[in-house]
Amino acid sequence: MFRLTSKIAWASLVRRRTRSMLVVVMIAVSLWGLYFMEGIYDGMTEQMINNAICSDSGHISLFGEGYRLDPDLSRRVEDVALLDSLLARDSRVVSYVKRLKQDGLVATAHYSRGVAIFGIDPAAEEKHGRLKDYLSQGEFSFGKKGRGAIIGFKLADKLQVRIGSKIVLSAQDSHGEVSAAPLKVTGIIKTNNMALDENAVFIADKKARKLLAMDKGVSQVAVILHNEVQIAGLQEELRLQFPHLEILRWDELYPALMQSRVMMEGFNLVTSLLIFCVAALGIFGVMLVSVLERLREFGIMLAIGTRFSQIRNIIFVESFFLGFIGFSLGSLIGGATLYYFKVNGLDLSMFSDAFDEFGMDAVTYAIIRPGYFVKALIAVALATFLSVLIPLRVLKKSKPIEAINKV
Amino acid sequence: MENFLEIRQINKTFHPGTEVQVVALRNVNLDIERGGFVVLSGPSGSGKTTLLNIIGGLDDATSGEVVLDGRRLTGMSERALSETRRDHIGFVFQAYNLIPVLTARENIEYVMKLQGRSQQECDERILEVTQKLGIDTLLGKLPNQLSGGQQQRVAVARAVAATPKLILADEPTANLDSKTAESLMDMMQRLNEEEGVTIIFSSHDPLVIGKAKHSIVLKDGKVIANERLS
Repeated sequence: MFRLTSKIAWASLVRRRTRSMLVVVMIAVSLWGLYFMEGIYDGMTEQMINNAICSDSGHISLFGEGYRLDPDLSRRVEDVALLDSLLARDSRVVSYVKRLKQDGLVATAHYSRGVAIFGIDPAAEEKHGRLKDYLSQGEFSFGKKGRGAIIGFKLADKLQVRIGSKIVLSAQDSHGEVSAAPLKVTGIIKTNNMALDENAVFIADKKARKLLAMDKGVSQVAVILHNEVQIAGLQEELRLQFPHLEILRWDELYPALMQSRVMMEGFNLVTSLLIFCVAALGIFGVMLVSVLERLREFGIMLAIGTRFSQIRNIIFVESFFLGFIGFSLGSLIGGATLYYFKVNGLDLSMFSDAFDEFGMDAVTYAIIRPGYFVKALIAVALATFLSVLIPLRVLKKSKPIEAINKV
Repeated sequence: MENFLEIRQINKTFHPGTEVQVVALRNVNLDIERGGFVVLSGPSGSGKTTLLNIIGGLDDATSGEVVLDGRRLTGMSERALSETRRDHIGFVFQAYNLIPVLTARENIEYVMKLQGRSQQECDERILEVTQKLGIDTLLGKLPNQLSGGQQQRVAVARAVAATPKLILADEPTANLDSKTAESLMDMMQRLNEEEGVTIIFSSHDPLVIGKAKHSIVLKDGKVIANERLS
């Protein structure tokens, strides 16, 4: 019986092939749009998050107690040796870096600005995040004598400096004295992390320690893990072990980014609902017309002993075929499109100024998540199911002889 | 002889209580014996089709009752009616009414599949019935590839193959030429005799009417003649 049911359902779709194809194309195009938007928007959000994680916070950052509210050099992480030994042998940890950080002032012959001074080890940073990848001009080093500085590209614009330009960095040292150091710009970075691009001056760790008169301790330890799901566990363990430190996740340090992710999920949900409505309306229209056109045929089937539930199955199978073919086609095209943009990226350089303002990359690499397809499948299945309920109601209300005499 | 079908005080009014109210059947009482070959005749609008529909459970009577082989059809649930039609009644319609997307074989097989018969049973029965009706070479064709007469034979085969106790045929020869009509009636007569199926059909055609063993004439919804001919 299942073979006959399937055959009747399939043959009915083939008999009205133009209409059936229209619905299939409508579902496929809707899904393609859904996949594209989800993949690209998620790609944008994840890139912003990645930029923040790689260039600054890591998945977890450790600070001295009270440092976040009052970033004074005295509020530093002292247990560096113990942390080193713990993090170095933890299999969840990909890498970690230690940074000295102090607010200061950078000056050129013509301009001056308040900045965040980072004392870093370029070799460790290179291994840790992608700070080197963000280099847009110059080199990722501080020169042989360690007198170089790498600065954010927006800061470079504002100071009107370029590679080789002289700057003077001044800050309050750990004794409360003002200290200054002349430096040369060796590199300019563009991280799309606005806080860094506008304010950061990276200098050699040794130079920073000398400038700030600080021979031990660090301001921040940033840790990158293999997997996001490991973050909460490690954070908890570190909190227990180092109760006097502030140990924060990336989303606690950058709540706006987390909000962007949540907002994007909401946006994607709304998009999914719209797609669901389009698919449901398409299938509903076709199935309603199909049932009304075939009332006589169904009337005959009822007359010769087919139960209503068996006719319902035929109609469900028909709409399932439409939904499944539309889903498969849409997923194939959508998946291929996302794969293309995952590999090659979507280049929106023409809007790069606007993207810079929001701390976004001009080239967005799409993300492909199995969840997109599962969600689309559920939406299409639901649309398929709901769209035949009214046509079935019309049929259920008809007596066989009324249905036969409809035409 | 044993009554196979009892029709008691059947009335049918379409659109009751409205300006377009039509009284289709008035106090119809009939007894049909098992194995009967019965013709319902009468002018257009006399209530033949309405009576066939009520006997087959395709439509409800306004009042009265139909008892088929001891089973009261009046008031039955849709599901029970559906099963009664599937297992006990075969229909042959004036316009053939085959399922257009199924081949002749699949159309014949359809009701047997609904009955839950095995493929082997279906194959054997299809061969037997289609050989009798002379359509065993047409089984792979779709309805639109068959002539009117061939389609009507497939429709008869569909009705017969499921071994019903009763076949209801509403003007089965109306769309056929006289030669094909006579041949079809001969086949139905043979099925009636060989398979013992009770057949009730409606017709205007004197040639067809002349083959019946029991003639019922309707006029304006009333039975005006009820005669056993042999």
